[in-house]
Amino acid sequence: MKRILKPAAALGIVTGLLCPISTYAQRVLLHSDVATDTIYGSFGPNRKFFNHIYLGYLPVVGKSGVGSEIRYGSSGEFMLGLRNKFRLSEPLSIGLDLRFVRLSYLLSQTDHKRLPTPVVHYRESLALSQWQLEGFVRLNAGARGNVVGRYLDLTGWGGWVMSTAHRVEDRPSAGPRRVQTNERGLPYLRRWPYGVGARVGSGRYAAVARYRLSDTFTSSYQDAYPELPRWTVGLEIGWL
Amino acid sequence: MPLPHFARYFQYVLLGLLTSFVVLPAWGQASAPTHRYWVELRDKAGVEFNPAAYFHPAAQVRRLRQHLPAFDQTDLPVKATYIVQVQAYSDSVLFVSRWFNAVACRATAAQLTALAKLPAVRRVTELPDRPLLPTARLPAVRPVVGKDKMTLSTADRQLARQQTRTLGGDAFRRAGLDGRGLRIAIFDVGFSGADQHPAFRELFAQKKVVASYDFVRHVPDVFHGGTHGLEVLSCLAGRLPDGTLLGLAPGAEYLLARTERMHREVYAEELDWLAAVEWADRNGADIINSSLGYTSRRYFPEEMNGRTSLVARAAELAARKGILVVNAAGNDGDNEDWRTVGTPADADSVLAVGGINPETGLHLDFSAYGPSADRRLKPNVAAFGTVLAASPGGYSRIDGTSFASPLVAGFAACAWQQQRTLTAMALFQQIQESASLYPYYDYAHGYGIPQAEALLRQTQQASKQPQAATVNFVAQDSVLAVFIRPEIAQMVLTQQLPLYTDSIGGSDEVPSRVAPLGKEEARPASSLEAPSETTPAVVARPPALPAASYLYWHVADAKGVLRRYEVLEVSQRAILRIPRRTLLPGDVVRVFYQGITHSYPIK
Repeated sequence: MKRILKPAAALGIVTGLLCPISTYAQRVLLHSDVATDTIYGSFGPNRKFFNHIYLGYLPVVGKSGVGSEIRYGSSGEFMLGLRNKFRLSEPLSIGLDLRFVRLSYLLSQTDHKRLPTPVVHYRESLALSQWQLEGFVRLNAGARGNVVGRYLDLTGWGGWVMSTAHRVEDRPSAGPRRVQTNERGLPYLRRWPYGVGARVGSGRYAAVARYRLSDTFTSSYQDAYPELPRWTVGLEIGWL
Repeated sequence: MPLPHFARYFQYVLLGLLTSFVVLPAWGQASAPTHRYWVELRDKAGVEFNPAAYFHPAAQVRRLRQHLPAFDQTDLPVKATYIVQVQAYSDSVLFVSRWFNAVACRATAAQLTALAKLPAVRRVTELPDRPLLPTARLPAVRPVVGKDKMTLSTADRQLARQQTRTLGGDAFRRAGLDGRGLRIAIFDVGFSGADQHPAFRELFAQKKVVASYDFVRHVPDVFHGGTHGLEVLSCLAGRLPDGTLLGLAPGAEYLLARTERMHREVYAEELDWLAAVEWADRNGADIINSSLGYTSRRYFPEEMNGRTSLVARAAELAARKGILVVNAAGNDGDNEDWRTVGTPADADSVLAVGGINPETGLHLDFSAYGPSADRRLKPNVAAFGTVLAASPGGYSRIDGTSFASPLVAGFAACAWQQQRTLTAMALFQQIQESASLYPYYDYAHGYGIPQAEALLRQTQQASKQPQAATVNFVAQDSVLAVFIRPEIAQMVLTQQLPLYTDSIGGSDEVPSRVAPLGKEEARPASSLEAPSETTPAVVARPPALPAASYLYWHVADAKGVLRRYEVLEVSQRAILRIPRRTLLPGDVVRVFYQGITHSYPIK
């Protein structure tokens, strides 16, 4: 016999079969307990609470200081996070994101390079792995059903850099073809970044712009190293 | 801290994001930030109206026949001066509704303020703009290259016959009823290819399609946009090459309206549905079949109360004007986030039709469950939710309550042809009363499958033979026990009714998920392959629906709202034991078995 029952109904069947009080050795083909089958949920894109995982990639944009030029397009932050949204009313929600962010700056190898040393390599990057918390206020447009809809988020975020790395690749003319060097626990990078942002989205897709308010370098290195670009602008895709 | 630097750039980014936020809704349109508004006007004082000029004669006769006034306030046109005023304070007028004395328009925020201050305006409410994302798309259509969709297997022919026979199609044919004299309006996503399809050769040759209009493109041609309408129309008036009817109303006249965009579910479509229902009324539609429903992108299940959506209110108005509105219950029965009927099937006066599995005679997984949010019975009745329908290039097996609905609409046409003096709501009631489970009901099957024989018997005032009770209720200390009476059990045993061997074949594998209403697609052609020579053709008797071995029972409260219902397969006489602690005073336990409904009120 083909399957004609829903999972909830199947549960009912099992219950019914195991509980000889309510039914008596009969095969239940269809079962519904109306009260439990018509409970309206509080979880959903436009319900009291909603959460979902999202992925994002935000290339670094904006001007770098002289001596700390980066390669645009290759520099950016990749993020994987969990978004929690609490609906206050149809147009207004608040939320909290917890995410892992991997921010990479690919340094341009120019003659006037200063960061972190003037030495020119084949390829060089600074990478920061961090955990971030972000609070946001969401303004939704228009009445809708249980869908995310179109929205504007205004966000403020802060994080903790759990690891830093300076990666260098050289291609010496003699000897090994490629030499890679990793340096971790960089003393010149700040550990507690923070910033603000905005996000405009529709359904699972969102365009995001984030601005880092904190400096990249610790105070003792700020004179030595020009600040890196503060803007990242990119896209997020939610797993709804 | 580089705040000045930040502030300078952040304001630009924020401005950009805000602009895109406002502009997104109007993407694809040349104009700037406007929103859609529903402007309700105060009155219709002083407007002139000539119903004889406005209504098609068929619409006038429909009203006359049902003792309705020639017109009412809602039929009067909207005051031209009011429309001019709204036009002056809006970007564009989208639709003018006589029934609601309202204008749907697109306006800016400034225009909105001015609109709201107009003395003629009673209320302005925002109509949600169209979402940018398409609704869940269907899987890509599987290619049918090399399959001849005109070649039908025995099982498919059997299904084609069964889908009308279970409703009593043979009885209607014997009585010469085929919907003649009725006008049926079909609202759908498009009727692509219907005018060329062999299933409708006679329909078009006899000029039975009397009017059509595409409310999406505002053109009379509806033979584009999607094939769902073709499939639905075939369940009313389609024929197989050998003349086998796929629906019950080949004699009716048809009004075809395209109100929906394929793969989209946008609010604009509700306005199109509303425009179509006014058009159908004006053109004399007796029955509207709408195999469409609006669900989670716009509403919550708790809003499915028949009062919230514009289309539900429009459907109620249509019923008041003497039109029987038949609507598919919806395909969200297996969607845990929705599960219930969509709108306008939620409206009180709309005959909502659920889907039945031809194999088992029971509710199909995907067919939406009731009750409505305000605990009314939905669906009202049911019909096959797996049918053989005309499809591009031939015929296909297809699943969805979209196809149960036209089967019942055809049934209604035959019933109304036979009793032309009935009002729409009297017909609604008769259809429910004719159904296979009546007076038993549940939220999966409604009252069951309408039965022509029962309906014709009702109209001939033939008294139904009193039938002997089939079960006994025995109140014991802690349980209410139900036993099948020994003589009935003996009869069932001697009949030896098998559950599956009289089914229509083994290819009835209903897909686990069926697309939303209006977007169902035919099964791949493999199901249409003719049986091989070595495979004996399944020559089956029609299944007795509901099956003889099924016992239906429910517990209803004093208001008739069900608290629990089940269908059991009978394998012993001691069929049921209900703990008395679960029953409240005023409750009624009803048991349907072997065609008889037994009630046991709890005192």
